[in-house]
Amino acid sequence: MATTTTATLETTTRSASAAQPLLKVDGLSVTFFTPTGAVHAVRDASFEIKRGEVVGLVGESGCGKSTMAYAIMGYLPGEPEVGGAVYLDGQDMAEFGPAELRKLRGNRIAMVYQDPALALNPTMKVGHQILEAISEHLDLDAAQAAQRMAELIESVGLPDPERIAESYPHQLSGGQQQRIVIAMALACDPDLLLMDEPTTGLDVTTEATILDLVADLKGRVNAGILYVSHNLGVVARIADRVVVMYAGQTVEEAPVRDLFKDPRHPYTVGLLSCVPKPVADEGAVTRLQSIQGSVFPSTQADPGMCLFSDRCPMATDRCTAEAPEPVSVSAAHGSRCFYPHDVSPDLWNESVEREAPHENGKEPTLTVKGLHRVYGKWQRKYLFFGPKVKPPVRAVENVDFNVGAGRTVGIVGESGSGKSTVARSIVGLVPRDSGDVELRGEELSAEADERNADQKGSIRMVFQNPTSSLNPKLPVRHNILRPLQKFTDMSAKEREERACELLESVGLDASYMDRQPLQLSGGQQQRVALAAAFAGDPELIVADEPVSALDVSVQAQVLNLLEDHQREKGTSYVFISHDLGVVRYVSDEILVLYAGHVAECGPAEDVLSAPSHPYTEALLSAAPIPDPDAIPTPIRLGGSVPKQHEQFKGCFFASRCPRKIGDICDNTPPPVQTSPGSPTHEVHCHIPLDELERLQSSPVESRA
Amino acid sequence: MTRFLVRRISLIVVTLFVVSAAIFAITEILPGDVAQMVMGQGATEQNLKHIRETLGLDRPAPVRYLEWIGGVVRGDMGDSFVQKIPVTEVIEPRLANSLILAAFAFLVAVPSAVAIGVWMGVRHGSKTDHAVSVGSLVAISLPEFVTGVLLIVVFSSFLGWFPSSSAILPGTSPLTRPLILVLPTLTLTGVLFAYIMRMTRANVIEVLNTQYVRTAVLKGLPMRRVLLRHVVPNAMLPTISVIAVNMGWMLGGLIIVENVFAYPGLGQLLLTSINTRDVPLLQTLALIIAGTYALSNLVADLSYGALDPRIRLT
Repeated sequence: MATTTTATLETTTRSASAAQPLLKVDGLSVTFFTPTGAVHAVRDASFEIKRGEVVGLVGESGCGKSTMAYAIMGYLPGEPEVGGAVYLDGQDMAEFGPAELRKLRGNRIAMVYQDPALALNPTMKVGHQILEAISEHLDLDAAQAAQRMAELIESVGLPDPERIAESYPHQLSGGQQQRIVIAMALACDPDLLLMDEPTTGLDVTTEATILDLVADLKGRVNAGILYVSHNLGVVARIADRVVVMYAGQTVEEAPVRDLFKDPRHPYTVGLLSCVPKPVADEGAVTRLQSIQGSVFPSTQADPGMCLFSDRCPMATDRCTAEAPEPVSVSAAHGSRCFYPHDVSPDLWNESVEREAPHENGKEPTLTVKGLHRVYGKWQRKYLFFGPKVKPPVRAVENVDFNVGAGRTVGIVGESGSGKSTVARSIVGLVPRDSGDVELRGEELSAEADERNADQKGSIRMVFQNPTSSLNPKLPVRHNILRPLQKFTDMSAKEREERACELLESVGLDASYMDRQPLQLSGGQQQRVALAAAFAGDPELIVADEPVSALDVSVQAQVLNLLEDHQREKGTSYVFISHDLGVVRYVSDEILVLYAGHVAECGPAEDVLSAPSHPYTEALLSAAPIPDPDAIPTPIRLGGSVPKQHEQFKGCFFASRCPRKIGDICDNTPPPVQTSPGSPTHEVHCHIPLDELERLQSSPVESRA
Repeated sequence: MTRFLVRRISLIVVTLFVVSAAIFAITEILPGDVAQMVMGQGATEQNLKHIRETLGLDRPAPVRYLEWIGGVVRGDMGDSFVQKIPVTEVIEPRLANSLILAAFAFLVAVPSAVAIGVWMGVRHGSKTDHAVSVGSLVAISLPEFVTGVLLIVVFSSFLGWFPSSSAILPGTSPLTRPLILVLPTLTLTGVLFAYIMRMTRANVIEVLNTQYVRTAVLKGLPMRRVLLRHVVPNAMLPTISVIAVNMGWMLGGLIIVENVFAYPGLGQLLLTSINTRDVPLLQTLALIIAGTYALSNLVADLSYGALDPRIRLT
């Protein structure tokens, strides 16, 4: 369908010779001037995009990926100094005036943004927002434009275009919103599509469907696509070629397979080795490697050396004395390194086997029994009277699990599955409606205020975003001394010493005591939060997405810290994450939550291998794997987690289950099945386990 | 929606009851008494007693309140103690005068404040913006009785363009002499204008920095369209509540402005009724003011709901 519209709506004559790249970025640099000094966002970037090609742009935050995308658009805040050149179809974009640039935007170059909820105007119907782009650039009458809009909505996989067009953004799910943004970008058949982290804010199941759409677009539209992402797994799935950026420089460029199988820059190797792999067992056996230090600060001028040299394990004197230029390793493979041929996959130390986890003892540290929580009340038709009209929002229902001493229980699920509510109920931030939480067999009050100091000190929490969970007005010192003061009976001097020890244990030193949180990088902040959590020698740490806001290299550091602390002190963890790879890496047991219900739980290996609950299977299938050879599994979930407190008549997952077997799923709650080989492995499903195992070893057709 | 309206309107009724009880209680506590006010200093004890009996003031306060409120519920606001005619007749012409003044002030202040606010928001940081910001701060800081007197000095005493007094003969409409409305309108407009302008400006700046405005720009839309279709509608949302709250402000301003310019409106009447302890009149005026306040807030909520699709009034 899209091809017909492309043919009929081709309005501009586009002279594109086959030899010329669609986009050529040549030595681009962008420097912003702020009151505190110059910021070198992009230092030296060069790459090309051809028509019909997807180029992945990867790197950690602060490497200049997004700035580069906006620089191509000619949309940069303030009055930055831009060096180098960007050529579109051979034409230097610096020659375009404001009016020409405006004609280009949304027409020949279109963009898809990171957060679709923010990128769409909340008070305008989405159909109208698409129409705007069409009528601005194409010479169509109202009826044709409306027709085109409907086709666009349909072409991004949204059913019922009329209804969708009449919706406001907030009435759509995150995945639908992103599809609308993509439809808007496709409005005028752009030559170049810039996608800036388009799936970063989405659930893994939604991410998978959007990636499928992008892969599908690649075949349909004759555009070059620049796909910016920090997630190597995502890039491995859809890119033809990959460009790696570090500290504002493009450091490696290669076809996707070469880049993942035969990386020729130490930074690329580092990035690849600090990502935990989701499925394969090997991922959990060896210790994660991390890139020490942090990205070369963009506030510093070019020092005339390799910017990665301070973190590079193979740096020599030459690396600090002169700056490397990009060299060709093979025809299509370039690296900005003096020694591209010496780079080997095990560059970042030999793989170290992990220490064995603590044995699951008899008495669990934490026991959660029948946890139940809903938010709000039934709303009635007339304030306090009349029939019930709106049900409360379901959070969690009947969740049971144990955490053994020195063990980690991972909790996974999409947003809205109740993960955070479970975490908050354990620490007492959210009162529970019913159920018990016991610490070493001792019943805990529902609210933190009613727990004694000992109980509070025994359970500590680490939050997702350290920038907002540390008080920006108080120095690091306060964050660590405060729990020591509250939960231990040390003297002031002992506390001070202990605080320094704790900082050292998380890889920081005593000089950090008097720093303000905002002076630290995200990774350093999260390590401070960890030191504060370790402070009272807690028995249990509840970590709610502790690494989600961090870059992969820092993520590995934090995960290793958590593990070391556990092996040493025997602390138990409840670890919440949406990232299956991370959960797989840290967890001894895994709890899969869906719509507040336990779908599956048990030892990590058993949960993540067949037979699995169909929901676990869908999550696994959606998780992006940083390996271009991985065969994508076709199981996709449409829709989103039901939010309302429906008294599920049958199975909680029936509305989205790709393996639904019939009326029994809608009408009867699923039984709890345990596998014969592993008595602690529970699957809440109607399908018998051996049947599930058989089904999951053979691929299924995807369900629309 | 109907449910929302029913609920809000019943809440307004409850509010008005509470207000009336509070006003009644306050007038009971105030020193001085109606009979004395009506009869003047020379009244004998006999006369005062007689007056109290005819007005029913000798009975206990709760009984009088209940009687009065019973009347109100039936639509009878009672008679003015001083003028001895139904309160409604006293208020009617004054209400019309005040509404005219308020409407003028509103019509002048709101559109100009919004327009200039948008303009300054777009050009924020420029010299014009700084000048307007300072000017609006001055306007906010000066109370009406100061601006009013200043305007009289400049435009009436000095330039002689407009009359300094806005008094008119009873029974005539101010619309027959529109010139007298100019200075009171300007005075009343000052604060209102400054508040709304500043609020609009701040919101426009905020919306200009949102990602959906970036989306609109990168769609290739011309700036004019980005402003009209994306920036202004979203920037107006919080401004609306400010406008509604300012309606209440304006009522307070009316009392002062009407007294400064001797304009025969509700504000002047309110002051008189307080001075003469004319409780039925005072009560009715208080109810009108409280009711206007509540209604303007309701209107703000309704328009908010109409403009912002994310808000569902339930």
